[in-house]
Amino acid sequence: MIKENNIKLIFLSLSLLLIILIFFFPFFWIITSSFKSPEEIIATSTTIIPRSFTLEHYNKILFNSDFFIYLKNSLIVSFSSMIISIILSVSAAYGLHKLKFYGNKFVEYSLLVTYAFPGVILLVPIYLLFAKVNLLNSYFALIVVNVLFATPFAVWMLKAFFKLIPNEIEEAAYIDGASRYIVISRIIVPLAAPGIASVAIFCFIISWTEYLFASILISGDDLKTLPVGLAGIVGQYQIDWGFLLSGAVLASLPVILLFVFIGKYFVSGLTEGAVK
Amino acid sequence: MISVKKNNIEGWLFVSPLVIWISLIILVPIYIAFELSLFNVKIIGTSGKFVGIDNYIKLFGKSKFLNASLNSFYWIIGNAICQTFFAFTIALTINYKFPGKKIMANWIILSFIIPTVVVVVIWKLMLSSSSGVINSVLIDIGLLDEATGFFSSPNKAFISLVLINSWRWSPFLALIILSGLNSINREMYDASKVDGANFFQQFLFITFPNLKSVLFVLGLVGTLLSFNIFDIIWLITKGGPSSATTTLPLLIYETAFTKFRISQAATLSIVTSFLLLLFSIIFIKSMAPKEDD
Repeated sequence: MIKENNIKLIFLSLSLLLIILIFFFPFFWIITSSFKSPEEIIATSTTIIPRSFTLEHYNKILFNSDFFIYLKNSLIVSFSSMIISIILSVSAAYGLHKLKFYGNKFVEYSLLVTYAFPGVILLVPIYLLFAKVNLLNSYFALIVVNVLFATPFAVWMLKAFFKLIPNEIEEAAYIDGASRYIVISRIIVPLAAPGIASVAIFCFIISWTEYLFASILISGDDLKTLPVGLAGIVGQYQIDWGFLLSGAVLASLPVILLFVFIGKYFVSGLTEGAVK
Repeated sequence: MISVKKNNIEGWLFVSPLVIWISLIILVPIYIAFELSLFNVKIIGTSGKFVGIDNYIKLFGKSKFLNASLNSFYWIIGNAICQTFFAFTIALTINYKFPGKKIMANWIILSFIIPTVVVVVIWKLMLSSSSGVINSVLIDIGLLDEATGFFSSPNKAFISLVLINSWRWSPFLALIILSGLNSINREMYDASKVDGANFFQQFLFITFPNLKSVLFVLGLVGTLLSFNIFDIIWLITKGGPSSATTTLPLLIYETAFTKFRISQAATLSIVTSFLLLLFSIIFIKSMAPKEDD
């Protein structure tokens, strides 16, 4: 008994060490590097503890670049995509998992397979379609695409939360004369709130990180999102690392802040309900 | 209570906004792509002449198409292996009790919530051949004699990209696996312990079979998501060196937006969607777990 526990402890500590090194150290590294002097960032000998401290990179990106324009664009696109995604996916998930209608399995699997079509396969035809209907270079173009990417998985995530709500509660409400609208707004949505919060984060993240379509559908500098702006620096022949690193840290900050406040719903939403 | 017929109409009413949104944004473009694939259009906005299935016949004779298909195949397999390993390691570790478990479970997903471009920045810096921390650590512990370029040779570039992409996705997959682990009845483990089962036997005979429905979704969605990866590869290697990391998504992008062969790109898109649809149908038909409800 003691022997088996010891082996477990060794395995556990080894994998913990591995996970911290692989999945957490890189963040420590770019955050500390973004405060290093340009010479230290590209120095050939590397030290784990930084030797220099400077705010010059942040100064440059905040006051001497288009950062705030890109930030504003990213925020508008991500929030709008998130709200539309929530409305569409909550409604669809309710229909799919509370009203077992004819063909619901077909719709459910089709939604999962929808992952097959997004991405680069749709890039060329969507570009042509949007060019035809004059949607290129607009926030709406990106919102349309982001909703398409976020909702199939969002519906799947909501399934678990809706299944946890006992049918008896709903039925009791109907007997008391409540309408469908009352039942959804007063019973279903409040009871599934943690699920809806996690879906909201998921949709926000999908929109916040989207690069491919944003780089093709938007050409005007005043409408570019943060990932596209950053990618522009990555593509330069002589990379200004300090500038790039501080930009990367700042571009991650909003999602990280959001995650600080409602991240636990997202994680518990993913880990506690999904298959029950 | 509520009649079945009423459920049918109302059910469709509730799903229709999403179904219409998705169908419009997928079916109309697919139709446009199909139409384009029958013509000979080069630059966007110009019209070409009707060539029938010529584009399709040409496509299958092209070594570029075969090369990209093979790369995509290796890409999916490589990512599946790496991500399964990382995701199970993370999920099984977090499933144990240890101090700091809650914090780790919440923040392990950091690599998934940051923009892909930031992932690219992180690994470009860490793996840089001139000043990367990985190179200098590997030299310090004696595994390398001199700094190596992780993206300089075809094989090294491909493997590095698979690892970077797995780094991004594994924590997210781990949380989904955790959801499956949480739904397994604890009593089964206790009972098996009484019967003398060890850790590995428990994993093989209790954990794994009970994860079937989660693994089904991961197998399907994960494969399709891996296939679709574009930005990490494009922003790091641009498909090189010598097309070694050009997967089908990169080939489509290149054909359309750097070579301006719109009809060829549309043909590629149609063939690729067909392959993915075929894979999905076969996968669902053969692997879908039977539901009790």
